[in-house]
Amino acid sequence: MTVDVIIQVLIGGVLLGGVYALVAFGLSLIYGIVRILNFAHGTLLAVSGVVASLIYASYHLHPVFIALLLAAATFVFGYLFYMALLHPLGRRNHFESTVGTVLVTVGALLMLSDITAVMAGATQRNIQLDFEAFEIGAIVVSSAQVKILLGITGLMLAIHLLLTRTWFGRALRAVTENRVGALICGVNSTRLKALTFAFGSTTVAIAGVLYAISFPVSPYMGFGLTVKAFTIVVVGGVGNLRGALLAGILLGVAESMTSLLWKPEWAPALSMILMLLILVAKPQGFGKKSA
Amino acid sequence: MSAAHFRQWLLPAVLIAALAALPFLGNAYLVTFTFTILIAYILGQSWDWVSGEMGYVNLGHYCFYGVGAYVFSIALVAHYPALFAMLVAAAITILIAVAVAVPLFRLHGDYFAFATLALLPLAEILAFNLTSITNGGDGIVLPIQSVLKASYLIALGVCVLAFFSTVWINSIRFGYALKSIRNDEEVAEVLGVRILPIKIKVLALSAAFASLAGAIQSWQMSYIDPPTVFGLNVALIPIAMVLLGGSGLRWGPLVGVIVLACIQQWLLVNIQSLQATVYGAIILLIGRFMPGGILRAPWLRNSRWFGALSQEHHEYIVEEKSGNKASTADTLPLPAIQVNRSKPLLECENLRMEFGGNVAVDNVNLKIMEGEIVGLIGPNGSGKTTLFNCISRVFDPTAGRIRLAGKDLSELRRDEIARLGVGRTHQIPRPFNDLTVQENIAIPLMFHDTKLSSQQAFLQAREFVAYAELEHRLTSRADSLSLQEKKALEFARALACKPKLLLVDEVASGLASSEVMRFVEHIRHVRDRYGITVIWVEHIFSALAQVVDRVVVLEQGAVIADGTLNEVVTNERVLESYLGGTVARAH
Repeated sequence: MTVDVIIQVLIGGVLLGGVYALVAFGLSLIYGIVRILNFAHGTLLAVSGVVASLIYASYHLHPVFIALLLAAATFVFGYLFYMALLHPLGRRNHFESTVGTVLVTVGALLMLSDITAVMAGATQRNIQLDFEAFEIGAIVVSSAQVKILLGITGLMLAIHLLLTRTWFGRALRAVTENRVGALICGVNSTRLKALTFAFGSTTVAIAGVLYAISFPVSPYMGFGLTVKAFTIVVVGGVGNLRGALLAGILLGVAESMTSLLWKPEWAPALSMILMLLILVAKPQGFGKKSA
Repeated sequence: MSAAHFRQWLLPAVLIAALAALPFLGNAYLVTFTFTILIAYILGQSWDWVSGEMGYVNLGHYCFYGVGAYVFSIALVAHYPALFAMLVAAAITILIAVAVAVPLFRLHGDYFAFATLALLPLAEILAFNLTSITNGGDGIVLPIQSVLKASYLIALGVCVLAFFSTVWINSIRFGYALKSIRNDEEVAEVLGVRILPIKIKVLALSAAFASLAGAIQSWQMSYIDPPTVFGLNVALIPIAMVLLGGSGLRWGPLVGVIVLACIQQWLLVNIQSLQATVYGAIILLIGRFMPGGILRAPWLRNSRWFGALSQEHHEYIVEEKSGNKASTADTLPLPAIQVNRSKPLLECENLRMEFGGNVAVDNVNLKIMEGEIVGLIGPNGSGKTTLFNCISRVFDPTAGRIRLAGKDLSELRRDEIARLGVGRTHQIPRPFNDLTVQENIAIPLMFHDTKLSSQQAFLQAREFVAYAELEHRLTSRADSLSLQEKKALEFARALACKPKLLLVDEVASGLASSEVMRFVEHIRHVRDRYGITVIWVEHIFSALAQVVDRVVVLEQGAVIADGTLNEVVTNERVLESYLGGTVARAH
């Protein structure tokens, strides 16, 4: 095994981790603001990945265009989903609202993956971009990888700007930091929560397109991703963009390296082991630094 | 056995007999269907002990099912008898549960749910990869036997055991420990409940039942592989069933399991595709419109026929003795403590509590004599409550020593300190919200005197309820009380710890003056009648002044004055920092 191979795998790991980070960040925002464990989060990625690859296969739209299309659709879907199904539960007592959100999101998970499987088939598919390879020494980088990298960077930058430069972002950070204080200062919590839910869903839908470019997607793969995203949230801190990015990349690289240096079948176990170790060592999770 | 008793048990007995007769009368389809309900009930009910009763949402409960299935299958393939294999499965699962309990229970709330959720995919990967033990993705094929009848009957037995265990757990001390943990773990500890062993025990119990379910079902299916016993999609179904019925209710898990299993079966028969979609939609709609479960829906609660099903576990009221109005303050079941005024009860030596760079308690030296009533005053943030928290070990002091009646408290846990004789109230009352007034008081009673049966504890609790003048609220949930009633409950509950030292934290603030007077009388009374030493933190100085022997003043964590009432009110520094300018100007 040469250094080249390791670097090659490292690049793949970083890209995978970037996508993980995007998934986790949406979940983290939703958890930080709406205080809901959204079990259907990863499933949304699976569904949008499948839909994106279907659209690509039949209409050959540019992936960026597909991503925009899906982003708009999931934004509306997320907003309506929150307002119609989750928001009314907030008026119940603590126990009932917790249980209610679990049931609603689990129900949505089952429905989303089943409908997708029936419509599109349960097979694995992906977006087949034309393959163009760049060679840097002995390291081969495909054009798809470059595009994914661009996509992740662009999206992260957009999220960062949104969080730091807009009122929506400031309100988000304020609520993550100090909920009551922010509400007293006039942040409209219902709208903010709905927008956050919608925004979180949008990020994961775009992540779905990026994911489908390099890895196969299938309707039932979502829940595993949700678990990974939870891990990243716990490691990176709730509502923390930089933390999520670092934790996501760490996880992606760790998984790729495990596959390369040890055994590929153990790679998926890493995220759970990592999460358990960290939680046990630091039961309160990491401090919630704002994004 | 009385007639009412007989009637009460007649229906379950007939039902169980009918279920037991089913495999000999019914067709295989019906038996198989009932079998899946039985298994789901075992899983759901055992999940509910940890989650519904103790309040720790264990999303990885299905792991125990899978471990049970694997251990059983491996043992059966190795030609051990089935019953023995089941016992081995349960035993090994219990060991695993105990091993994971200690690290897992360091977590609370959502983090506990996260972590337990991660156990499932982890277990699945282990089952896939440890091929030498589990045979990996190929799964394990069990010896072909026709075991439907036997497995059905065993499942029914375990099911009945699970149901009656639930009823039993809810009538004993263990069950009340679970309920107190669900409501407020920290308060439970300072009331004398030792929580870690309780948590480990309940997880082990729940794991044992889940593993039996796994063992029995794998025996019946005669084939297992990782996705069928650890798969995420199947794993959440029993939980959804319990939530659907009504988690934490006696009949909730059973009703939820039956309803959802029937729906599932109906879908299987009547719909060709999109079954999971319809199934998911049902779960979703129930979550949206009946999140407390079917049995908590108002229309059902109030209905004549089904109202009894939504029975909560905690309606455990002792009827006798209700006519006895003579239970006045003098008959509180408290030991009369022989007071020696020259003997110190509580000694703090150089006690220090730092939070990062913030010194909340700054080298406090304090001696409280037996039978004293000491007022503890000081501006907000001067460390009064922190001092209480150090004494009852809610915080670990950074340095210094605390002794109670000569015994060093530094090596003791919260519950040990409580049982040693420290009772306390909280500034903002923290009753166990979803329990009744009577239960709130019975919990410390049953944990302070382990010889007391829960029934006796309930009887004794009535005396305290009468003392707090809350008799008319005896069976009300604590969260329905007014502030004043909550404070009275908080005080009575602290007394129910049978304390030598009572730490009273702002019990009078926010109350009307007649109410304040009542607490003054109570505090005087418990000292005079029962010899209880009291430290009272209070901002209403006029109330304090009527009853205290001595006043200690804190400022920025340090004792700035310690003396009689007169000494303190004339102390320049106290006037300046706390009692305020008006008095100072009067000079």
